[in-house]
Amino acid sequence: MTSLIVQVAINGLLLGGIYALVAIGLTLIFGVVRVVNFAQGEFLMLGMYLAFWLFAFWGVDPYLAVLVTAPAIFALGVLVQRVFIRPFFNAPSNSLILVTFGLSIILQNSALLAWKSDPRAIETSYSNAALRLGELSVSVPRLVILVVTLGIVAGLYVVLQRTYWGMAMSAVAQDRKAAVLMGVNIHWVYMLTFGLGVGLEAVAGTLLIPVYSVTPSTGATFTIVAFVVVVLGGMGNVFGAFLAGLIIGLIEAFSGFFISPQLQGALYYAMFVAILVARPQGLLGVVGAQEMGFR
Amino acid sequence: MNPYYAHVLIMFCFYAYLALAWNIVGGYAGQLSLGHAVFYGLGAYTSTLLFLHLQLSPWIGMLAGGTLAAVASVLIGYPCFRLRGPFFAMSTLAVLEVFRILAVYASDVTGGSTGLSIPIRFGLGSLVFRDKMPYLGVIVGLLAVAVVVSVLIERSRFGHRLVALRENEDAAESCGVNVRRVKLTAMVLSAFLTAIAGSFYAQYVLYIDPSGEFSMDLSVLMAMMAILGGAGTVLGPILGAAVLAPLQEFLRAWLGGKAQGLHLLIYGILIIAVVKFLPRGILAWLRSLVPWPRAGRSAAGRAPTGVRAPAAPAAIPSVPGAVRPDVPLLVARGLRKAFGGLVAVNGVDLEVRAGEILSVIGPNGAGKTTLFNLLSGVYRPDAGSILYRGVDVTRVEPHYACGRGIARTFQIPKPFADVTVLENVVVGALSRTPSVREARAASAEVLALVGLAERRDTLASSLTPGDQKRLELARALATRPSLLMLDELMAGLTPTELGAAMDLVGRIRGLGVTVVLVEHVMQVVMQISDRVIVLHLGEKIAEGPPAAVAADTRVVTAYLGDEYAVA
Repeated sequence: MTSLIVQVAINGLLLGGIYALVAIGLTLIFGVVRVVNFAQGEFLMLGMYLAFWLFAFWGVDPYLAVLVTAPAIFALGVLVQRVFIRPFFNAPSNSLILVTFGLSIILQNSALLAWKSDPRAIETSYSNAALRLGELSVSVPRLVILVVTLGIVAGLYVVLQRTYWGMAMSAVAQDRKAAVLMGVNIHWVYMLTFGLGVGLEAVAGTLLIPVYSVTPSTGATFTIVAFVVVVLGGMGNVFGAFLAGLIIGLIEAFSGFFISPQLQGALYYAMFVAILVARPQGLLGVVGAQEMGFR
Repeated sequence: MNPYYAHVLIMFCFYAYLALAWNIVGGYAGQLSLGHAVFYGLGAYTSTLLFLHLQLSPWIGMLAGGTLAAVASVLIGYPCFRLRGPFFAMSTLAVLEVFRILAVYASDVTGGSTGLSIPIRFGLGSLVFRDKMPYLGVIVGLLAVAVVVSVLIERSRFGHRLVALRENEDAAESCGVNVRRVKLTAMVLSAFLTAIAGSFYAQYVLYIDPSGEFSMDLSVLMAMMAILGGAGTVLGPILGAAVLAPLQEFLRAWLGGKAQGLHLLIYGILIIAVVKFLPRGILAWLRSLVPWPRAGRSAAGRAPTGVRAPAAPAAIPSVPGAVRPDVPLLVARGLRKAFGGLVAVNGVDLEVRAGEILSVIGPNGAGKTTLFNLLSGVYRPDAGSILYRGVDVTRVEPHYACGRGIARTFQIPKPFADVTVLENVVVGALSRTPSVREARAASAEVLALVGLAERRDTLASSLTPGDQKRLELARALATRPSLLMLDELMAGLTPTELGAAMDLVGRIRGLGVTVVLVEHVMQVVMQISDRVIVLHLGEKIAEGPPAAVAADTRVVTAYLGDEYAVA
C-alpha cells in the first residue's frame, strides 16, 4: 500500500510537471499582457500536431523537433498578437475575452478541417521507457518534461532579473503607463511576451507527443487546467505557476485514486472558484495585484 | 408554413429570449457571465426528470426548474460577484464545468453522457406537438414575456440601479445602491427566465444530455447575441438573435455536412469581427446612421411639465429625523486606519455640528480622503467609532450611510459615464423614492440648482471636468443628505468656476445641509468655513475658526516646514 501511494505521488508530480509547463506560458501572458487567453491550449495543440507531422514525414525525433516547433509557434504567437490582440489594446477587457474565445474556436476548427478529429500519436523508442526503483516506476519522457520545466523556470528567472527585455516585462506587468514613460516600447513587450508565452506551449506540446495523442480539442482541456494553475500560483508569477502545477498534479492523481477519475475535473473547477474567492491573489501573489490591470 | 422556415423562426425566438434573459445580468448590470447554461441545464433537467418520474406536466416543471435555477443563482452569484471583470467571467465558466461534470457523473439520475429521451405524448399539457406551429406559438409567447420584463426593468428603479453599478460600483454604492443585493436580484431573474428556455428546448427536441445542456458554447452564444445586437437594451439582443440564429442554422445546413468544422470556423471569425467592428452593437450602429432622438428613457424624461411636484420641494433636502441642536450631527472618536505599515488616519476625533461648514485641510498624504472614506463607509476603521445622530454607523456599508443621509462626492469624479447627466442624478434621487418619475422631477430641480440644467441630456462622459464636478455634487444632493461631504470639489476649477462653486456651497448650507469639505484651495477654506480641522500625517494637529488655525505655528510648520514657522 505504501509503495502504491508513493507511486501515485510520483505520477502526480510528473503530471504536475506537465501542468506547470503549460501554465508558465499562460501566466506570462496573463500577468504581463493582461490578456485572458482562452486560446492558450490551442497553441499547445498546434505544437503537438507540428511535432507529429515532423515525425510522421521525416522521422524527426520530438526532442530535436522542439528546435523547430518552438520558434515556429513563437512566430505565430507574435503574429496573432499583432493581428488579433493589439487592435483591442484600449478596448474593455471583456471584449478581449470574446476575442480570444473566437480565436480558440478558429484555431480548433482549422485543425479539425485540416486534420480531422482522429487522435494522432507517435511511438518512439522511449515512449514507454521507465526507470525502475524497486516496485516503483518513473516514466522517462514525463521525467524529461519535469526536468525541462525546471530548466525553463530557472532560465526565465535569469531573463526576468538580468536582461533588459525581462525587466521591461516585469515593469509592464506592474504598471503599463509608468513603463511607457520610462521608454519601454510596450507593443514590442506585448508581442514578444505573447510569442514567448505560446512558444512555451509548443515546447510542452512537442515534449508531450511521445506520451500523449493529439486531437483538435486536446488544447482546450489543457487551457482550463492552466487557468486553475495560474490563479492558484498568482497571476504572472512563474515560480508560483510551477509550484501550483505540481500541487494540481498531485491533487488530480490522488483524487483519481481515492475518489473517482470522473470527478477530477469537477474538483479543480470547484477549487478554482474557491481559490479565486478566498484568496484572489493566489498562493504567492500580492493582494489586489490580480485586478490591477483589469480596471 | 414550410417546417424548415418555422424551425428557423422558432430558433430565432428561442435565442432572442435567451439573449434577453442573459442581458439582465450581462447587459444592464454589465457582468459578463459565461456560465448561464448552468441555469438552462437546470431547467431542462428539472422539467424532464419531473415528467419522467412523476408525470408532472412540463409547464409545472418549467416553473420548478426556474425556481431551482433561481436558488442556484444565489448560491453561485454570492461568491462569484466578489470578483470583477474577467475573473467573474472565468469563475462562471468554471461553475458551468462543475455542473456538466456532475451531470455526467450522476448517471443514475441524469442518464450520464448518454442523456435522457423524453417520451412522445402529444398534447398541450405535455408540451409535445406533432407540428412546428404550436411550438412557435409557445416560444413567441415566452419571448413576449421576456420583452415585457426587460421593458419594465428599464423603466424601474431596479433597472436604473443596474446601469449605475455597471458604470461605476463605488459611485452606485454612494447613491444608496446595495450593489451586491441588486446584482443578485438581477441574477435570480435572469436565471429563472433562462431555465424556462431550457425546459422549452428539451420539449422541442425531446432529448437532453450534459454537453448539450450545460454547454459552454450556448453560454457564449447567449452573450454574443446580446453583445452583437447591443447589450443593455431591449431591441439589441433581439436584433443580435435575428442575425446570428438564422445564420447559424443556414451555415449548419449548408456547410455542416461538407466540411467538419467550417461553420464553426466562420462563427469564430464572426465573433472577432463583431467585437472589432461593432463593439457597441448593431443597434448603436444603426442609431449612429439615423440621427433620431435618443429613444426611451431620456425621451420620457424630457417633459417634467405636467408631473405633479413632489410634496416637499425636491431640491430642498429633507432631513430624516429632527435636528437636535444640543447633539452634534456626527461624532467620530479615535478613528484609525492603516494600510500595511502606513497609518493613514491615526486616532482622529471629529465632531460635526448641524448646519455648519467644516473644512478638513492638510498637506498631501495627511489622511483627508481616508477620513472621508471612513465616514462614508467605504473603509472600515481598524479602531474607533462613528456616531451619526446618536446611532453607531462605524461599520456600515456606503449604501446604508447614504440611506441615513450621509452623501459624498469623489475627489476624482466617478460619473456613470455612458448615461445622460439627468440619469446620473436620477440614480441619486432614487435613494429617496421608488418612483422614477418623481426622481426625474427632483433631479431636474437639483440640476437647475447646480447650473447643469442645459446639459441634462448630454452623456456624462462628454462633460468638461468642471461640469463633472458639478454632476458629482448634483448626484450627491439628489440623495437629499443632511450631511454632505465634498472631496476636493474646487480643485482645478478656474477662478470664475471657483466663485460660483463657493456661492453654491453657501446656498446648499442655506437649505439646511451640513457640509464637510476636504479642500486645498485656501482662499475657499478661509472664506466659507465656520471651522477648520487640520490633519497632518494622519493626526489632527489643529482645530478652530479659520483665522486661528491659519495663525497656528504647528499648521504653518506642517505645510511649509520649520524655517517658515518663525516668520
